[in-house]
Amino acid sequence: MSDSEEKEKPSLWNTFRSVLYGMAGHDMARFALKTRGSMEHLFILITMGDLLGIPILPPYYSLRLLPYVVPQISTWKRRMLREKDLTDALA
Amino acid sequence: MSLRQVFEQNPNRRYIMFGGKGGLGKTTFSAATAYWLAKQGYRVLVFSVDPQASLSDIFQRDIFGKGAVEIMPNLFAQEIDADQRIREYQQEIRQKILDMYGLPEVPEEIENYIQAAAAEPAMEESAIFDEVVDIVVGGQYDYYIYDLVPLGHALYYLSMASVYDQWIDKITALRAEMEEYSKVAAVMQRRKETEEDKILRELQEIKYRINTSSSILTDKQKTAFFFVIVPEEMIILDTQKAAELFAKFEVPLSGYIVNRVIPPALGEQDIPQYLRYRLEMQKTYLAKIDQIFGNQVLARIPEFERDITGLPMIERMAEVMFGGAA
Repeated sequence: MSDSEEKEKPSLWNTFRSVLYGMAGHDMARFALKTRGSMEHLFILITMGDLLGIPILPPYYSLRLLPYVVPQISTWKRRMLREKDLTDALA
Repeated sequence: MSLRQVFEQNPNRRYIMFGGKGGLGKTTFSAATAYWLAKQGYRVLVFSVDPQASLSDIFQRDIFGKGAVEIMPNLFAQEIDADQRIREYQQEIRQKILDMYGLPEVPEEIENYIQAAAAEPAMEESAIFDEVVDIVVGGQYDYYIYDLVPLGHALYYLSMASVYDQWIDKITALRAEMEEYSKVAAVMQRRKETEEDKILRELQEIKYRINTSSSILTDKQKTAFFFVIVPEEMIILDTQKAAELFAKFEVPLSGYIVNRVIPPALGEQDIPQYLRYRLEMQKTYLAKIDQIFGNQVLARIPEFERDITGLPMIERMAEVMFGGAA
């Protein structure tokens, strides 16, 4: 079952599979990605903590990782520095 | 056992280190040992991991930050310029960011971080630590002689290796777990391949570098570590403490070398009272050294009448340390 085959004939079977994914798999996939996203932020905190003023070991080697996390830095900082209040708990 | 015998009986020990408090003669012994080995036909690199290195002074040549410089046939010396290394490293990181994202310049926030990280106190040591990996992995020499930093720093250097090691283990594990979640999502969404995790690969490279450096420091087969002491009470006490700490880090201690011993023969000559007192004092502490360190004391090096600088003096020192013609 290769990609090219699928593209040739959008069969009933494929439509059925998409519906099935939407019903059962999508939430799980979303959850997995969300968990991964949280861990990504945790990871940046551990390696780039200095950006928030939290000195975490050892800066020499964190620099090596810096290029890979550049796109995530701004969302990460927003998330980490966001004030929490009651509405957060309710949400 | 003599210093010479230690070398002859352990031909596999190719990483030689001299440690001890500041100003006791670590650089002198490093240079003289390198000289002796080079004269025997081995290719030797003596290098300094001290930001305030003095190999340039002893060889009377400016070698700071110039890579491995040939001093005489088979003898090379190197002083690592940590600042230069850090600057190059920062530039490398900036370039990588620009290349990866096609940016015209590094975002301000990121640039600030790069500069702040370089100002960290541990940065210099880390940079040197990292360069040492390049030096020893290169494998171009028969012998590598580390002219170490004074005691406190050397301990820091060693503990850094084990702290780094644990740190990297933890985050590598975290990264691997993240990869699992990516895979789960990919399976659900029926994507064939997840993107290769470049960070994980980078972490593994860092881990390899740290392990290479720290495994050499603690390898009994390949490494010999010598303590330099002088017959003075404070030095003896401090060295004893340091030796215990080094033992905890499993540094293979090969013996002690006593430096700055006033030649006892002087006592038979007509010498001033001042010198006589010094001789008496040293005699007491030499006895104490023998009592504490016993047969681990490999050599007693006399106080020379002048500084050890320049090759002819280094040669004289090598003769005293290892005995006459090689």
